[in-house]
Amino acid sequence: MADGPKPSSSVKLVLLGEAAVGKSSLVLRFVNDDFQENREPTIGAAFLTQKCNLPNRTIKFEIWDTAGQERFASLAPMYYRNAQSALVVYDLTKASSLAKAKHWVAELQRQASPGIVIALVGNKLDLTNQSTGLESSMGGLSLSAAANDGDEEEEEEGDARQITTAEAKSYADEEGLLFFETSAKTGHNVQEVFTAIANAIPESTLKTRGGPGSGRTGGGAAGDTFGGSGGVNLSAVGETNKDGCAC
Amino acid sequence: MLSLSSLISKASSFIDPNILPPSLLNQVNGSSSDGQTPAVLFRSNFRLPDSENPLAVIPCELSLPTGEHYFGRLHLSESFLCFSSSAPSSASGAGSSSSSTAGPPSCGFTLPLVAIRRVERLHSRSYLFALAVTTWHNDQKLTLQFNSLRSTCEKFCEALKKNLRSQMSEMKNLRMLVGSCYSEWLVTAGKSKDGVKEEPDAGLGMVWKYPGDAKKLRDRSKMRLWAEYLRENGRNITLIRQPTFHKLIRVGLPNRLRGEVWELTSGSLYGRLFNPTLYTDTLTEFSGRHSLSIDEIEKDLNRSLPEYPGFQSEEGIGRLRRVLSAYSWKNPDVGYCQAMNIVVAALLIYMSETQAFFLLSTLCDRLVPGYYSQTMYGTLLDQRVFESLVEKTMPILWEHLVKSDVQLSVVSLPWFLSLFINSMPLVFAFRVLDVFFLEGPKVLFQVGLAILRINGEELLDVTDDGAFISCLKNYFLRLDESAHPRSDNEKLRAVTRFQELMVVAFREFSGITEQTITDQRAKHKDSVLSSIESFAKRTTLRNLGPESKRLATNDLGYIYDRFYKVLYERQERLAAIELEKERLNEKKIMSSARSISEKSISEKGRIGLGPSSQLMDYDYFREFLAGVAKWAIADSPSQLFSPSLGGSLDPQWGGNGRKKSINLNPWGDNAEPADHEFMQRLFRRWDTDYRSGLSLQDVVSGLAGIKGKKDIMESISYFFELYDDDGDGRVDREGILRISEALLFITRRGWETPPNIGDQNRGGEGKGGTDPFLGSVSGFIRRCFEYADPDQQGKQEEVSTGVEGMDELVDLLDLASDDEDDESIKSPVKEKGAVKGKEKERDESTEGKDSLDLDANTRPSAMSANIALDPANPLYITLPTFRMIVLADEVLEYFFETGFADSIVLSTDGSKTPGGRSVSGASAFGNLGGGGIAGAKGLRGVLDNIVNDGMRVAQEVRRRMDEAQKEMERNAVPGKYKEDEEDEGDAGDAKSIMEGDRDLLKGAEASVVDDAAKLAIKTGLPEDDGASGTLLGSPTSSLATTHIEELRTPTTPLPNRVEFDMDK
Repeated sequence: MADGPKPSSSVKLVLLGEAAVGKSSLVLRFVNDDFQENREPTIGAAFLTQKCNLPNRTIKFEIWDTAGQERFASLAPMYYRNAQSALVVYDLTKASSLAKAKHWVAELQRQASPGIVIALVGNKLDLTNQSTGLESSMGGLSLSAAANDGDEEEEEEGDARQITTAEAKSYADEEGLLFFETSAKTGHNVQEVFTAIANAIPESTLKTRGGPGSGRTGGGAAGDTFGGSGGVNLSAVGETNKDGCAC
Repeated sequence: MLSLSSLISKASSFIDPNILPPSLLNQVNGSSSDGQTPAVLFRSNFRLPDSENPLAVIPCELSLPTGEHYFGRLHLSESFLCFSSSAPSSASGAGSSSSSTAGPPSCGFTLPLVAIRRVERLHSRSYLFALAVTTWHNDQKLTLQFNSLRSTCEKFCEALKKNLRSQMSEMKNLRMLVGSCYSEWLVTAGKSKDGVKEEPDAGLGMVWKYPGDAKKLRDRSKMRLWAEYLRENGRNITLIRQPTFHKLIRVGLPNRLRGEVWELTSGSLYGRLFNPTLYTDTLTEFSGRHSLSIDEIEKDLNRSLPEYPGFQSEEGIGRLRRVLSAYSWKNPDVGYCQAMNIVVAALLIYMSETQAFFLLSTLCDRLVPGYYSQTMYGTLLDQRVFESLVEKTMPILWEHLVKSDVQLSVVSLPWFLSLFINSMPLVFAFRVLDVFFLEGPKVLFQVGLAILRINGEELLDVTDDGAFISCLKNYFLRLDESAHPRSDNEKLRAVTRFQELMVVAFREFSGITEQTITDQRAKHKDSVLSSIESFAKRTTLRNLGPESKRLATNDLGYIYDRFYKVLYERQERLAAIELEKERLNEKKIMSSARSISEKSISEKGRIGLGPSSQLMDYDYFREFLAGVAKWAIADSPSQLFSPSLGGSLDPQWGGNGRKKSINLNPWGDNAEPADHEFMQRLFRRWDTDYRSGLSLQDVVSGLAGIKGKKDIMESISYFFELYDDDGDGRVDREGILRISEALLFITRRGWETPPNIGDQNRGGEGKGGTDPFLGSVSGFIRRCFEYADPDQQGKQEEVSTGVEGMDELVDLLDLASDDEDDESIKSPVKEKGAVKGKEKERDESTEGKDSLDLDANTRPSAMSANIALDPANPLYITLPTFRMIVLADEVLEYFFETGFADSIVLSTDGSKTPGGRSVSGASAFGNLGGGGIAGAKGLRGVLDNIVNDGMRVAQEVRRRMDEAQKEMERNAVPGKYKEDEEDEGDAGDAKSIMEGDRDLLKGAEASVVDDAAKLAIKTGLPEDDGASGTLLGSPTSSLATTHIEELRTPTTPLPNRVEFDMDK
């Protein structure tokens, strides 16, 4: 506040991934820095917001945390509509969840707004041998694995991990995704994910937020035929400025 | 607004109020829209189980013991007697409350026949026909005075009497049910004839307290009012709904009666009445079993109303687990959907497990159909309906939301899906549920609209999803506050926001009726389903796995469409046939007068509606193939009844059925598919999970296996494996014959032969010029038998007799390739223009063949090859042999190269719809039948006959071979020196050759053959036998090795077993 208001903008972020991989927990950790064992399953989607301060601006994440159960998949387009960023989450200890994550990535790449920033996140790092919290290297990649577990890593016996860092990483590189391994339980790497996304959102998208939001509607979600209108854009910008002050 | 149902009742009141037979009744009411058949309407009006049908209806006046009179209509179904007063205004005595105008009829009852103790005919003064009905709860006597012709009344009574009698057996269930009802305990004050009873289970709330402050909820006074009402108007099974009943519900149910009244008003009580042990039986039957749903349920057990103490206990969790699991078993199509856990948890606070189980069924089947289905189409559909209602009733707000790009359903979807349970504080959510169970799904819409109306002004300031959500969230948190806190009027100040909500919902939106919802749903259904389907298609195609990558994207899309089209069209068709059967059946047995049960036929048949069955059985598969391959269309489409249908026809109506046989064609308007052994084999091969059904995945993988093969070798192997039943790498005599049958079957309507191959190749076969393929196939059979390996075990016996050995020696002379064969071998070599790689192959196989021929000719040990011609002697060919034979023939080669794959036409043929294709298939057939009758009857006819009888093929082959034998002898001479070479090895003992062979095989992991070899050694075969086995098994290899070194090309398989396992 003392530095005067930084430019602030809203970013719509959607979480996708198989049921019980920890989507809601990641959000809860990010938003409230909290962790609960038993949370009611997300019905449809939950909506939360959290600000993310970058050196030169503030990003207000509007987070859509979707239900993971397979049959809710057909509702997903409703939530990733107009999203500028997405967190596709899988469970490091469950091989099938990466496959599901890949499906989501493919779906987003084809159906969501063009230019959407996608981060692939392997959650539940705390269940692997890889101890957490020590290395702060963004992405917690093979680098940290080598540094930390050295020899243990070679034989991953007794480790619940089913998806190697290398495997997921190479997939993420192929598809041009941000990639992280996190633990919502310990908080490891959670903040980093969101910061990285915030950094990856192109400035141009931010400035015109609201405008492109409505503009994209036509192309983005199937079945939506309403166009945006100038008046709304204005008010949206006003809203954005207010946020800036509030921060 | 004139609702359709009232129109119908009006319309039917003009008609002579007879007891209408079901068919007539259908005519009267049949105009109702959108699959809302009269029976469906009837059931939903009275909350009856799906098995009930309106059998008779009669106008009548109901007189209650309490003195009220109502005019209305009395309905009879199989197990119920129902009454509804025709209009609130006609009710005398009872003031109709304004709030109930849009609700159910102001007075009515749904009386299970079993709950009727006694029906007396009253002799009334004015020639009127009247009945006095005594119900289970003795204290009640209802008088029903019929307003109709005497004969009609008599008829009604007859039907009633008959059904009453047939319901006697349900008495036991009734006792059980009544005993479990809290109202019974309440009214009898716990005292029954058998003494004091335990208080019935009224949910977890009895132990862990019911949500909310009982005092504030005025639970005691409500209970007293209810006790009074129940004493006067009957209870549970015999309850009569008077306007007071509705009012009592509107003010909120008392805790301990809540579960039972929900059950009663939703109608789930009747499900429980007739299936008293279904719940426990289901649990027992599936105890210990696992499924995806069970896993999903397990994940959510700790996350269902976790703040309610009952669900922090094992007891509560256990109940929840059992109810959800039992339902997932009972209705596997729905299984388990998140939100069900929350709903069931809420129910369990007020009712027992069994009650919750049946109420959940009623919810999923009737109240919120499709909400929890695999595709959740019901949820999406109702969101669309809700949006359109908002647009209609609050256009300004709607426009604002559209402008601000706020999507309404992001907030409203959870309302509907969890019936407001996790949106509002529990106490209020339960109040909504009270009305919801009484009045049906429209309540969800009314309340939803009211929420938006009340918050309208604030919402107009909202410009994004987030603010929209938080605005409403706030509202829900303050539902218990005063709606008018600053009002001077104390009464007004006492009105809570929730009360305000209820008033707005049911007064301001009273125009939203059940019919509105039905109409709106019908209106939007298609577009919602289409969008679900396009999503599903997209997702499915993307997730078909690596196999699918071998097919083009548009091919996949085509397969997908075709798969589901066949699946659903056929399901519908079969259902229609079923229905037709039933209808015909009924005409015969008029007395039982059961109307057609429309059982949810319209509710299936689209992907968007979720899975009915996602598997194609063999008949579906045939239909599928017939649409993509012309060879799969039957030659004689005249037969209208498939044997399977014919068998399942009820003999009772068989005579009637014939007249309508065209409707009953199980293939509909499509060309009737063929039923060939080859298709059965394909089906089995594609059915990778042995479910006797093919999933889309199976079909895609299967087609990828045929069409996706770029390599002729793969294609040959694929075909071979189809016939290698036990997977041991051999195809026996029968299999060989079947292969040739299949080849002819596939090509019998012609196929795109290579431009040049046809005439050049088959000069020798002369007449075959018109049909090179026929010649090729016959050559194929012949060569198969020539190069087949005898089955070791079979041979063993054979030789041990010795005598037969002699015969064979004689027969040996037969063994030779005929001139045609010779020519076929040579001709390719002559055609130098052929592709080089193939040529090499061919050379190689030619070599191998020559050597084989020589072996066979010159060495007594080889005589067993002759066994090939004797059906009594088992023999087999291996994949390499099969390949060799195929590659030796240009036509066959071409067939496996492209013809086979091309015979199945997917989207590449884009413009042709399946229908169009079937036409083209028919025309192809026409050509055959018309233009080519002579030709077809000639060669083709002969061959068709031949292929139908394996034995005869063998004989035919044998005959030809006999003819050709001498020719062969002459030709054999040039190869003489080779034979000598071979002999050197052979001259030694058989074992050494065996060893040599085994060496060869070692690297090959050709375990099957290896085993066979071992077997040969173990059993100590006579020398010549062993040698012959060896020779037949391996000459190609041992001899070919020299050639292989020179000729090996990437695409050429070595004609020995070394490669065998690679193909596996």
